[in-house]
Amino acid sequence: MRPVFQTLILICYGLSAIFFTADRLRPASRFVNFGVIALAAGAVLHAFGLAAIGIESGNFPVADFGEALSFLAWLTALAGLVMIVRSRMAVVGVFLAPAVTVAFAAASILRFQQLEQSRIVLPETLRSVWLPIHVTLAILGYALFVLAASVSVVYLAYERRLKGKRALAPLEEGRPSLEKLDRINYQLLGWGFAMLSLAIITGAIWADATWGHFWSWEPVESWSLVIWILYAALIESRLTVGWRGRRAAALTIVVFTVLVGSFIGVNLMYPGKHGGNFG
Amino acid sequence: MDQSLFIVGINHRSAPVRVRERLAYSDGDISAALKRLREAAPAISEAALLSTCNRVEVIGVATDAEKAADSTIAFLASDRDVDAATFADAIYRYAGLDGARHLFRVGASLDSMVLGEPQILGQLKTTYSLAAEAATVGPVLHRAFHKAFSVAKRVRKSTLIGHGSVSVSSAAVKLARQIFDKLGDKTVMLMGAGKMAELTARHLKAIGIQSLLIASRTFDRAVVLARDLGGTAVPFDSYRPYLKMTDVLIGSLSVAKPILGPNDFETVVKERRYRPMFLIDLGVPRNFDERLNAMENVYLYDIDDLGAVVMQTRDAREREAEKAEQIVTIELESFARWLAGLDLVPTIKDIRYSIDRLRDEELERNRGWLSALPPAERERVELMTRSLTNKLMHRILSGLRRTGDGAPDSAAAADLARQLLIDDLAAGHDEIDGADDNDPEDDLD
Repeated sequence: MRPVFQTLILICYGLSAIFFTADRLRPASRFVNFGVIALAAGAVLHAFGLAAIGIESGNFPVADFGEALSFLAWLTALAGLVMIVRSRMAVVGVFLAPAVTVAFAAASILRFQQLEQSRIVLPETLRSVWLPIHVTLAILGYALFVLAASVSVVYLAYERRLKGKRALAPLEEGRPSLEKLDRINYQLLGWGFAMLSLAIITGAIWADATWGHFWSWEPVESWSLVIWILYAALIESRLTVGWRGRRAAALTIVVFTVLVGSFIGVNLMYPGKHGGNFG
Repeated sequence: MDQSLFIVGINHRSAPVRVRERLAYSDGDISAALKRLREAAPAISEAALLSTCNRVEVIGVATDAEKAADSTIAFLASDRDVDAATFADAIYRYAGLDGARHLFRVGASLDSMVLGEPQILGQLKTTYSLAAEAATVGPVLHRAFHKAFSVAKRVRKSTLIGHGSVSVSSAAVKLARQIFDKLGDKTVMLMGAGKMAELTARHLKAIGIQSLLIASRTFDRAVVLARDLGGTAVPFDSYRPYLKMTDVLIGSLSVAKPILGPNDFETVVKERRYRPMFLIDLGVPRNFDERLNAMENVYLYDIDDLGAVVMQTRDAREREAEKAEQIVTIELESFARWLAGLDLVPTIKDIRYSIDRLRDEELERNRGWLSALPPAERERVELMTRSLTNKLMHRILSGLRRTGDGAPDSAAAADLARQLLIDDLAAGHDEIDGADDNDPEDDLD
């Protein structure tokens, strides 16, 4: 991706963050539409950018941490757009758009550093049809967890105000109800969990085909398992004891911070077989 | 010829209800009253009468606004058979553009008892129609009212003056909507059948609640109310098992101390698997222990909490009112331009309408033999009449334009043209509801 192009994408994402925030501050305005348009424009440009990297390097554009982060930002923007438009959840944009912007900016910086050194060439073992499948599933799962965490933050903010009797700022009519936020959080967790499970399964099959064993306990794998177990527990608690609402939202955020910590930590500290790449 | 708008009236701020009720008119009397006013005060060229619970106002047009206001007050006193001294202090008067500003503010609900309440616009539309019926509407009132309607719409569209809850029961309903997404599968239980509880239940029913349980100390009362609201009566001593299926619980019992507390809900909450519950406590003394609000996914609002929500709405509406006042000021300027004859568009539009109507009437009168003609010839007749009216219109337009555009006698010319060519505005040409859709001033602004 050329720097100019990268800056353009960053501007689109940044603008969407500004518009979504402005919409919260001036609820009678139509800023939210501009936010959606800016986010969509950013995602479209970003898609071209990712395709360009893929064509240039000849492999799926997740060769290093920067690229993986960029891909995550793109899938998050895309899934976020679907949710905002389909479920009328513009309020989530307030958290989502800045998150996408920051992730993309970080990815861009990492990429510049990378370019100073030499280009990463994927080892022959990783050049496989399994790569796009395994990585897309994993990163889509993470993108959905980002959305779930954003929805949960909104939930906690709304619930705090309802409990505090500061609920009904008349300017905020038409915002999503707690019940709806809770339901969407659950759906996002469910889909994210399904994606993560499939990513682990495809990863294992691929590993078996390449190295002859399903699992090798390297940091990426272990942490994926930890996260998989945490999300499983989160979903289980709702199904069995009925933990929903406030508690579910708080736990979603806790598990998500573990996810973020491991995503960054593992990628930066233990570049194992995944090639410095949290698949 | 300097026609001025004037308004005399009393409202909820200037007079108590015992004064207002004596001057009030019912809709059925208004047309006749307007005709009587015209007879009693011939100097008043146009008049309309607005009468609601909160205000009685005569909106008129005359050359001498001050004198017209005096005779209107005298008329009201004699027509309603009230000693003028009883309401003399409560009367307010506006003349000229101040009158127009007042009319716009009333229409935009800036002068209402509940700021931003929507009924006043409908009442103002009725006022206009009744005056049109009595044939007391002329070009000035016609324009002033339509301007008031479009101001009201613009205010409603571009400010939040109509948002929020202004009553306890509507606040409760709005809160329920903040908690629950789908109301169709929710259950409401009334404990006690107080008036406000009933009203809240009605509101909730209206927005889609299907299942309603009513537990009252007097079972008969519960049964009657259940039949009325479409719910189910529950004997008071066995309401507890129903708590776990209740999503919205409304308490309005008279009790010495709370009858439900955290201990009662410990198991209920678990049995409900932490599905949210909304407790509305309308009782004084309170029915539900305030510690219930601390329980997970339980939201308790007592009468003061709901009252605070209503107060918030009022504050927010007052802030929005400032924006609305700016809109009124802007629109007032465009009205003033028209009044001064500088803005010819509305006048031209009115003349065009009058002339087109003449043509339509003529065609209608001759429909008999016209319909006997072959279609091609009938079309020629219609084309001919249309070209005649167009040519006439063209002459009037170029004449007006010569004097118009800021020339000193432009106002007089426009006024003369209005008098000569527009005689049937009382019929009110554009749909009142669509008034601002084809408001020519909107195109100019």
